[in-house]
Amino acid sequence: MPPQPAQAPPVVIPTGGGSAIVVSPLQRGNPVLEAIRNVPKEFGDIVCDYQVGRTTGVLFLSLKYHRLHPEYIHTRIEKLGLSYSLRILLVLSDVTEHRDPIRELTKMCLINHITVLVAFSVDEAGHYLATFKQFEHKPPDLIKERVDKDYDSILRSTLTSISKVNKTDVETLRTSFGSFANISRATSDQLQNLPGFGQVKVKNIKNAFEKPIRNNA
Amino acid sequence: MSSLLPFHRAILERIHDPTTSDLLILARGLGLRRIICTMMKVYDTPGSTVLLVNATPEEESEIGEELGIMGCRKPGLRVVGHEIGSKERQSMYLAGGLFSVTSRILVVDMLQGDIPTDRITGMLVLHAERVTPLVLEAFIVRLYREKNTIGFLKAFTDEPEHITSGMSPLKNIMKELHLRTVHIYPRFQEDIKKTLERRRADVIELSQNMSESMADIHHAIIQCMTATLGELKRSNSTLDVDDFSVENAYFRSFDVVVRRQLDSVWHKTGPKTKQLVTDLGILRRLLLYLLTYDPFQFHAYLETLIATNTVTVMGVKQNRSPWMISDAAHVIFEVAKRRCYVVSSTMRAAQVEEEDDDDELWNTVDEITGEVGETRPKWLPQGVEPVLEELPKWNLLADILEEAEADILQMESLRKPSASPGSNVVLVMASSTRTCTLISEFLSTRDASAAKGSQARPMMMHKLRLYLWWKRKLSERKQDGLPGFALPDSSGHGGPNQGYERMYGGKEGISAALQRKDKEKAERAASRRRVRGGAPAAAESSKRPTSVQAATALGTIRSEANSIADFWAAQSTDDLDAALALALEDKTLVNFESMEFESEFDSNYGLLVPQQTVLVRPYSNDSDDRMLAELQPRFIVMYEPNMDFIRRIEVYRSSNPGLSLRVYHMIYGNSCEEHKYLAGIRKEKDSFQRLIKERATMVLPIFEERAANSRGEAIIKTISTRIAGGRREVTTEPAQVIVDMREFRSTLPSLLHASSILVIPATLTVGDYILTPDICVERKSLPDLISSFNSGRLYTQCELMSVHYKHPVLLIEFEEDKAFSLEIVSEIKSHAKPTGKYPPRKNGGPGESEYSSPMLQSKIVLLMLSFPRLRIIWASSPHATAEMFADLKANMPEPDPRKAIAIGAEEDPDAGAGVNAAAEELLRCLPGITAKNVKFVTGKIKNVQELCEMSLVEVQGILGIEPGKACWEFMHRGEGKNS
Repeated sequence: MPPQPAQAPPVVIPTGGGSAIVVSPLQRGNPVLEAIRNVPKEFGDIVCDYQVGRTTGVLFLSLKYHRLHPEYIHTRIEKLGLSYSLRILLVLSDVTEHRDPIRELTKMCLINHITVLVAFSVDEAGHYLATFKQFEHKPPDLIKERVDKDYDSILRSTLTSISKVNKTDVETLRTSFGSFANISRATSDQLQNLPGFGQVKVKNIKNAFEKPIRNNA
Repeated sequence: MSSLLPFHRAILERIHDPTTSDLLILARGLGLRRIICTMMKVYDTPGSTVLLVNATPEEESEIGEELGIMGCRKPGLRVVGHEIGSKERQSMYLAGGLFSVTSRILVVDMLQGDIPTDRITGMLVLHAERVTPLVLEAFIVRLYREKNTIGFLKAFTDEPEHITSGMSPLKNIMKELHLRTVHIYPRFQEDIKKTLERRRADVIELSQNMSESMADIHHAIIQCMTATLGELKRSNSTLDVDDFSVENAYFRSFDVVVRRQLDSVWHKTGPKTKQLVTDLGILRRLLLYLLTYDPFQFHAYLETLIATNTVTVMGVKQNRSPWMISDAAHVIFEVAKRRCYVVSSTMRAAQVEEEDDDDELWNTVDEITGEVGETRPKWLPQGVEPVLEELPKWNLLADILEEAEADILQMESLRKPSASPGSNVVLVMASSTRTCTLISEFLSTRDASAAKGSQARPMMMHKLRLYLWWKRKLSERKQDGLPGFALPDSSGHGGPNQGYERMYGGKEGISAALQRKDKEKAERAASRRRVRGGAPAAAESSKRPTSVQAATALGTIRSEANSIADFWAAQSTDDLDAALALALEDKTLVNFESMEFESEFDSNYGLLVPQQTVLVRPYSNDSDDRMLAELQPRFIVMYEPNMDFIRRIEVYRSSNPGLSLRVYHMIYGNSCEEHKYLAGIRKEKDSFQRLIKERATMVLPIFEERAANSRGEAIIKTISTRIAGGRREVTTEPAQVIVDMREFRSTLPSLLHASSILVIPATLTVGDYILTPDICVERKSLPDLISSFNSGRLYTQCELMSVHYKHPVLLIEFEEDKAFSLEIVSEIKSHAKPTGKYPPRKNGGPGESEYSSPMLQSKIVLLMLSFPRLRIIWASSPHATAEMFADLKANMPEPDPRKAIAIGAEEDPDAGAGVNAAAEELLRCLPGITAKNVKFVTGKIKNVQELCEMSLVEVQGILGIEPGKACWEFMHRGEGKNS
């Protein structure tokens, strides 16, 4: 975002390790600030735009602005130097011709060890920033291999992993065969007789269950 | 195989020359397969290598068979799939012959040099209509032409309707295939017209009206469709609404049109619009089902629809489809139910006290259904009066068969067997195997003595029973959420122990029957194989003994099944109240088996007695031609209209002079069936006219030697001026990217190659693309991203990449022509796989959005926090990705394939080549199986079915105690305790 002509902001020295996002005074007037919800914000003197964690710094760039001032982001990155271990460039994709600028930014960021994060709306950008703060100390269990869910949803996700099978079909399969093992035993004819099952679907199901997984030839 | 007709010969003469390359567009049903096979036979000379590309597995086997019949046997057409190892493939290619190769494998082989591309004699590309710049076939042709300019390339298509996309669709296809000549043969072409119209078949067109209730439903569905369309128009002002009419909505392609218009703004459209688009699809399907499903199936389907529509996902109540709460929908549901049965609660309650009243009631019921004197079956619940409406076409079919039979008898009596060729088989053709089973079930259980409109009563009663059984299970589930389906419902009903005993007894009986059935099946399959390929006359005699054998075996099984059924019947009369539900379940199970068996028997063995046989078959592709030639039927009943098959009959008639052929053509008057048929003909004609026009004005592209030029340019570009004096030698190796084998399903490798990067296929354990020794990329399309976040696979993959590479990169690839935004994520189903080959899925309604977008964004954040070194590339399309890859590779050292393969590949050296992706995906979703141990599991078991059959201990032996238990319990949850 453009560095707004701020009227001598009351700069607060970041307390460090606080629960608030530290915002650079340069970001004053950025609509994204409004979109950061559920997390306290405070202004502070930092090299990046948003400090969302002790070791996480975010630079913000709207593509619209980038189109007008292509050199701006380079000076910011230069200033950033080698601080922070997780360095993020939050790009707000608000132009239709996004392909070339994103391509150029991607290359630059890879060289400078910065991760690009593209947001498609102001709200999304705000959501990202807030989430970074909220998740600062969260263990990555959410995205690790799934632990346990209820039977229904596992069965649903398992069977819908077969191409063309939808939720209605899962219900049909369950009502007609009972268990997963029984479904695996069902013959093509039986499957074909179920409502909503065409030849392609039946073939996909049979392939998944009966074709060898790995051919050691 | 019948001889070629004059127009076939004319076409062949124009395209057979092995020094030219052509595209042939032929109208469907005129025997494209015959032309292809004849050509392949011509090219089957020693020392030549001819490849068949883009054939579906069915086509491969059928063409292979046909070639076998034509005398092209040793070795004939060989199918190269992932089952054949690369060494073996290499030697096969070197030896030469006819091959059909899966595109993905062919690309890899060409890139790896396993196939001597310069020595390929020629290539036949089927389904040319599907060739676009993004598909693998275009990639193959490009690779082929790069090294081989002498070989021929013949492309074929019989679906001109599909050549529509873009400004000049025909030119685009020809450009991708590097072709310069095209031959267009519509049905109205002069030669074809002359040949086919010399002898015409005797066609009787029968227009059947729908029954009153069907017409009501039909009308109501149309109403719903109109309303839904109107709603869609109103809520989206941006849509080009010219094409939006109910007429157009009959076709499947309509969904594609709507989706294409909405795709770029899909993330902005509300859930309501998405719902409307999905609804249109459902309504269209309902129209079709109304005409083809029997009333019970139709009703059951409606009920499933309602059930899934009211379901709450993750605690949030999903919004219902608007059409479902309209008045018209009420009509649909009510009438559909009334076609099956009527519930009369008050009347049944009075039964005990007033016997007389009851009798009267019975009589009325009997009058309605036209069955006088039939006793009410015991299994029928109180208060349900069967109505059992039948599809009007059934009766019509019965009439036709009688007429045909009479004609056959008459001809027999005239005794002129030599005068007319052909057999007395009556061939009934229908649109789907489902319809076929239904018809044959009807014919085999038909009560010929009954009055019109009730001949199918035995079958319908059976269906009612099945339906009640199904319904019961459905409601059981609903009420208590118990997974136990097959579990006997012992609570409430007295005597649970007794129930269990019965279960055991029944199970034993069933399993015995099942075993017999399996044996029987194998036998039947064997006999069928014997029949196939032989001339019908010769096969006839050899078939008879088998049939007798089969019939006796069948008889014993049937009696066995009957005795079980009888046993149950006896049991259930003893204490009806207690065991009603139980007996119902088991009995229907038994009956289901035997019934299905009977119908199969009829469709498979029906032709054994040539005098009065009726063969029911679904319409399929060009293999129908051979079936006609083999069967030589004199009577053909087209149960549903089909343009292709009419042409097949014309061809069949023309190639069999002296055959007196009668065709009955059935159609529901004023139905969507009729509209669809007529519109289909119109569409084909239009597309042919458009193609002919385009051919007249086409600017033919000239293909220059792209390979040599651009490669040179690229090398010059890589010489950086920064290095003093351009020190880098010009002989430097070209830019190269190592690509995982599995990635060849996507379009990216093809595009990388097009931008003159050398693509090296390899089996990678870590990552999908290796750009430089330091950069490793994992590509995820959006649906992939969501599913791998959910399964946790992405975390594992990133972990691996971070360990082995300095710059692990996650590539998030959006689809071309679709919105470049994450919000659309909420719409895509979690399991959708990116093929890039087909238009976007149509059925991704909001009912399926379980994962809202903030969830996904949060997960990305978490991923970034967990892997600070991970970089993310956001690519709006595969094209953009290719550009970025080229950028990232500039001035970087090239990767080493050997090193890349070695990384992380501690076990499982043969992965990648022969992987059944669908099965692996399925396996991965099971509890207890993770991305880490999935490889180990696949090494242990043959297929998923095998895993299901294992005992708890065996599964635990593979997965470990806890996960094994979880997995086993998941697979067997909902079964009886004794299984």
